[in-house]
Amino acid sequence: MAWKMKDKYNINELCYSTLSSDNPNSYETYVSQGGYETWKKILRELPDKKEIINSVIESGLRGRGGAGFSTGRKWSFINQDSDAIKYLVCNADESEPGTCKDRDILRYNPHALIEGMLIASYAIGAETAYCYLRGEFIDDVYTSFKNALKDAYQNKLLGKNIFNTDICIELHDLIGAGAYIVGEETAMLESIEGKKGFPRYKPPFPAVKGLFGSPTIINNVETLASIPKIIGKGPDWFSSFGTKDSAGFKCFSVSGHVNNPGNFEIPLGTPFKTLLELAGGMKDGKKLKAVIPGGSSVPVVPGEVMLETDMDYESIAKSGSLLGSGAVIIMDEDTNMVEVIHRIARFYYSESCGQCTPCREGTGWMFKVIDKILKGKGTLDDLKTLESIPKMISGSTICALGDAAAMPVESFITHYKNEFLEYIKLPTEKLPNDKDFAEPINNEFILSRK
Amino acid sequence: MQENTKYNIPSEISSKISKWLAKFPIDQKKPAIIYALHLIQHESKYIRSEHVNAVADFLGLKKIDVYEVASFYSMFETEQVGKHTISVCTNVSCMLNGSDEILKYLEDKLKMKVGDSSEKYFLKDERECLAACCGAPMMQVNHKYYENLTKEKIDSIIDGLENER
Repeated sequence: MAWKMKDKYNINELCYSTLSSDNPNSYETYVSQGGYETWKKILRELPDKKEIINSVIESGLRGRGGAGFSTGRKWSFINQDSDAIKYLVCNADESEPGTCKDRDILRYNPHALIEGMLIASYAIGAETAYCYLRGEFIDDVYTSFKNALKDAYQNKLLGKNIFNTDICIELHDLIGAGAYIVGEETAMLESIEGKKGFPRYKPPFPAVKGLFGSPTIINNVETLASIPKIIGKGPDWFSSFGTKDSAGFKCFSVSGHVNNPGNFEIPLGTPFKTLLELAGGMKDGKKLKAVIPGGSSVPVVPGEVMLETDMDYESIAKSGSLLGSGAVIIMDEDTNMVEVIHRIARFYYSESCGQCTPCREGTGWMFKVIDKILKGKGTLDDLKTLESIPKMISGSTICALGDAAAMPVESFITHYKNEFLEYIKLPTEKLPNDKDFAEPINNEFILSRK
Repeated sequence: MQENTKYNIPSEISSKISKWLAKFPIDQKKPAIIYALHLIQHESKYIRSEHVNAVADFLGLKKIDVYEVASFYSMFETEQVGKHTISVCTNVSCMLNGSDEILKYLEDKLKMKVGDSSEKYFLKDERECLAACCGAPMMQVNHKYYENLTKEKIDSIIDGLENER
């Protein structure tokens, strides 16, 4: 559904370029759009690896999984002079609540991802690349990617001595089995190695010591699928879109109370208002109350602030949140914010891997206190306790899941404290029974997560 | 985790596991655990102790290596569950679009609570977001996506499962 906007750019230019075709995920469709030309050119000319890495740095591409770190810089951390085996890993464990952009790339434009993975492998000197899909993708999404990979192999675009060069790259599909934490890059490495997904201490960073102890680069699906056009059309083309520090295009998953929820690939810096229009505006003509602009791990932003904000890293940071994965969750005026944070807290409590005490215990405390408040049994002391927990988690854990659980709770209390207070003031006749309370944490959760 | 009899990995599964191992360095056997458990669960519906032991023996690993994977990942069932696994997403985007009512409707229709299982259905207590937020409310039935759910859609999906041979 590529359509012109403001005569300046097409939406769905890179990662969703095939969406307008009848058969979007086919090899033929991708090739008819000039697909694999960039990879073939690299194979013909065998440019210096540093040249490609520099182009990616110059393009301003930042990791699209959530952290927003410069992709080219990440690649440059690989020691090219070392003879060590190097790996590329594509993080297709899309599971940040609100995010469904990568699933559409895997389903509808898998060849862009494959070509991006090949170029990235070449640039970092990896001869083996893995694409790790979340377990729940095991049916149609995984099949779409596997079929595309088969076609790419059949057309001899990868494998041994590709196009009679010295370049050998094997790309393997992998499937997970359900665990949000595996989206954290070092937990993903543990999972690929066949262990439970416990994040690792950093340093050493994966670029130094990653998969099977070897230098490894882990990139998100959207990041890698953007690479072919960035290299093909040049870094200047890409950075001519977006803003100075937020270059190029980004896929946003707009969900919640909108008329036309969907994935939209637009230049960074596009006003939030425009994105909301693309998503068909507010459902039932209701007023915008709040937006979670980057997946459930980021702070919530009041609607009136969001309406003045642009969709780029700096603008969203200024409005007190993060661009994250680009999952934009829209909430209308009737939304019960205590219910929303209750659901978010339940999620992090379930998904904490249990390795670090502040996160394992803290996510449970936060959920239990919010649950108590939501059920009308909360006191002002409970709210104070709830306010104090995020500070005890943030910065005290190996990975970012603890912060991801803490930030939304903090922000919901900051912006919507009155709604928490309303629950605390509920008249006594509305109090529910004890059996309505959440079950207490027991060790079984930590041991088995069942 | 139940233990019944000794389990021998069927040859079609063991050959698939061997093929999978070729994706990894030759000394690495653990990376095949997740895949092996998927294959066995697909055939046996849930993972029992004898499955864990058989995978460990086949890959030359300790049983605890396999057990920790089987118990860590939420897709692996270690208790008996029904033939069809239904996971209704109730994370934020789905919740905003009425997933709680959808789940309640399904609970009433199947006469079971979330987390329960009958011989035919397992209504999984899904806590993760299933990455179909723009099609909310959604659910997976045996890992197939069903999006933009309504009560009518649920009726027709369940009727389809009821009428299958």
